[in-house]
Amino acid sequence: MSLSFRISLSLIAGIFFGFIVVVLSCLLTATSFAEFAGEIRSPEIISAILLSLETSIAVVLLALLFGIPAAYILATKRFKGKNILDTLVDLPIVLPPLVCGLAILIAFGGDGIFNRFDVLFTVKGIILAQLFVASPFLIRSAKTAFESIDQDVMDAARTLGASEFYTFKKVSLPLAQGGIASGVVMTWARALGEFGATAMVAGCIPYRTETMTVGIYMHAMSGDISASIALSLILASFAFTTLIVFKYLGTIGDGNLETRGAAA
Amino acid sequence: MIQLDGICKSFGENEVLSSLDLSAKKGKMFVLLGSSGCGKTTTLSVIAGLTKEDKGDIYLDGERINDTPPHKRGIGFVFQNYALFPHLNVYENVEFGLKAGNKRSTRGGNKTEVKRALELVGLDGFENRNPMKLSGGEQQRVALARALATEPECILMDEPLSNLDAVVRERLRHEIAQLQRDIGLTSIYVTHDLVEAMALGDRIAVMNNGRIEEAGTPEKIFYKPENEFVARFIGMKNIFEGKIAALDEDNGVLQVSTGNFDLTTVFVPSSVGTRVKACVRPEEIILAKSDQNTNVRSARNEIAGRIVSISQNGPLMRVLVDVGGDEMSVDITRLAARDLGLNRGDRVLLTFKATSVYMIL
Ligand SMILES: Nc1ncnc2c1ncn2[C@@H]1O[C@H](COP(=O)(O)OP(=O)(O)O)[C@@H](O)[C@H]1O
Ligand SMILES: [Mg+2]
Repeated sequence: MSLSFRISLSLIAGIFFGFIVVVLSCLLTATSFAEFAGEIRSPEIISAILLSLETSIAVVLLALLFGIPAAYILATKRFKGKNILDTLVDLPIVLPPLVCGLAILIAFGGDGIFNRFDVLFTVKGIILAQLFVASPFLIRSAKTAFESIDQDVMDAARTLGASEFYTFKKVSLPLAQGGIASGVVMTWARALGEFGATAMVAGCIPYRTETMTVGIYMHAMSGDISASIALSLILASFAFTTLIVFKYLGTIGDGNLETRGAAA
Repeated sequence: MIQLDGICKSFGENEVLSSLDLSAKKGKMFVLLGSSGCGKTTTLSVIAGLTKEDKGDIYLDGERINDTPPHKRGIGFVFQNYALFPHLNVYENVEFGLKAGNKRSTRGGNKTEVKRALELVGLDGFENRNPMKLSGGEQQRVALARALATEPECILMDEPLSNLDAVVRERLRHEIAQLQRDIGLTSIYVTHDLVEAMALGDRIAVMNNGRIEEAGTPEKIFYKPENEFVARFIGMKNIFEGKIAALDEDNGVLQVSTGNFDLTTVFVPSSVGTRVKACVRPEEIILAKSDQNTNVRSARNEIAGRIVSISQNGPLMRVLVDVGGDEMSVDITRLAARDLGLNRGDRVLLTFKATSVYMIL
């Protein structure tokens, strides 16, 4: 690599990283510690933080419950229409969350087919919206993990007298652990950061449907910028922690099955 | 006893097993021999229930098991790439089948079974090791112990030694043979290796294109195969189409004419004019220079030819001789090649006994 090339590469990368750091640190410089400490003691902010944590954790649990079987089936079974199903799983990832939110709004609205369920403008609605947008990350990640298990290893379990379920429980799940964990982290982060679909389905009712992201938007728009910043900083610290955890899981996931076996 | 009746299996357009019949006797080692891609693994997979056949019947000790799921068949499987559980240690790998089959009686009650299985394969003391950190040979021993621990009705082994180096392969081959005989376990052993097949098989079936060409004892398959594909597969180089030209029952011989030369072979009741294929093993031929005066009169066949090529063939030299338009392969020792001072183009005399010629009718 020539020196001038190396310098221009570093320059371009430097501008990029510099931009990110400068913009994010604007959040920090726009507030003071005293202001921040005051904001996070406000009951409305605390309620938003708790609601975000509750809903995102519920989303992760529901995503596990529905996503793991879906991922396992997509990874191991052959059936007609599998490709369609596979594409369908990815759809919420590429679809704008607002569109997902609108779809839920219509489905559960007055004339919708699910109108008998009381979901709109409730916590259930938030969970539903977040689940819709975030669960594909878990399914995708778990599916890849299941797919990468050597078929012979699962076949070996079968010839040793293990039923399909026992094999799933004792072989597939433990071997897909790393991928599932990454999926959980991604899904949780996505649910926590979800705004468009959530706002569409549950609105912005303080103390009731105000999640952290919704709160950031609402307070910023109403001129209460210090509340927005406080929520943003907390969200950013969650995101940062997630990133570190994710990087750590990533290194486990990258190591092939052999090295993971060493831990056992 | 394992029996397959008319098993067919296609993957899409690709017909992998075409009406395959097979019968492996109880307590014996049945070797399935064939080149890569001929359907050996698929055959084992169908027997174990891991691949669903399109057609045909599978019997285990006379009972039809087509609809029995793999975990209820009681058929052990040893995979080419070991397929150990990477998240379990050696002990847990071997114990897996005991737990899965619910053969566990009390807590920790599997200890003796696991220990016995590991002792069988010489891995006593390896309990806490990570299987992925073991050598290939040790991994395959673990796989063997894991399969044996569940005390299966029979065991299927899919080229279990093919990923091992030559020394380990030979040692483990002996041990597998010993183990199989000691336990008297009905076994089907898949390989593409002639030496392995010869060394292990009570019976050998040569497979080609999704069906069995010929099955028989190792002696039959390697010395007198009845099938031309099998003859070529086991390395029979000299196969000539010909006609029976003369019968001499009194002297116990008959003549086969290939058009280019005549061959004398042992008498079998047949009629003049019958089309046959005459085979001579390269190592049964004695080579002499034409200008030297040899007198090997006990030999019934003496054919003159010219050397086309001389090449290395394992520890021997393979001499290709043009005999009036056909080519005959001859294996001689290196020493013989040097003593004779053979060169390309040399005129030579090929002599061999009538009993060295046999016919595929
Ligand atoms: N699951 C599968 N899907 C599609 N084709 C397969 C599958 N398994 C095996 N085949 C094909 O079947 C043929 C025989 O394979 P296999 O039984 O593995 O042969 P062998 O073990 O004798 O090398 C090959 O052409 C292979 O590509
Ligand atoms: Mg194979």
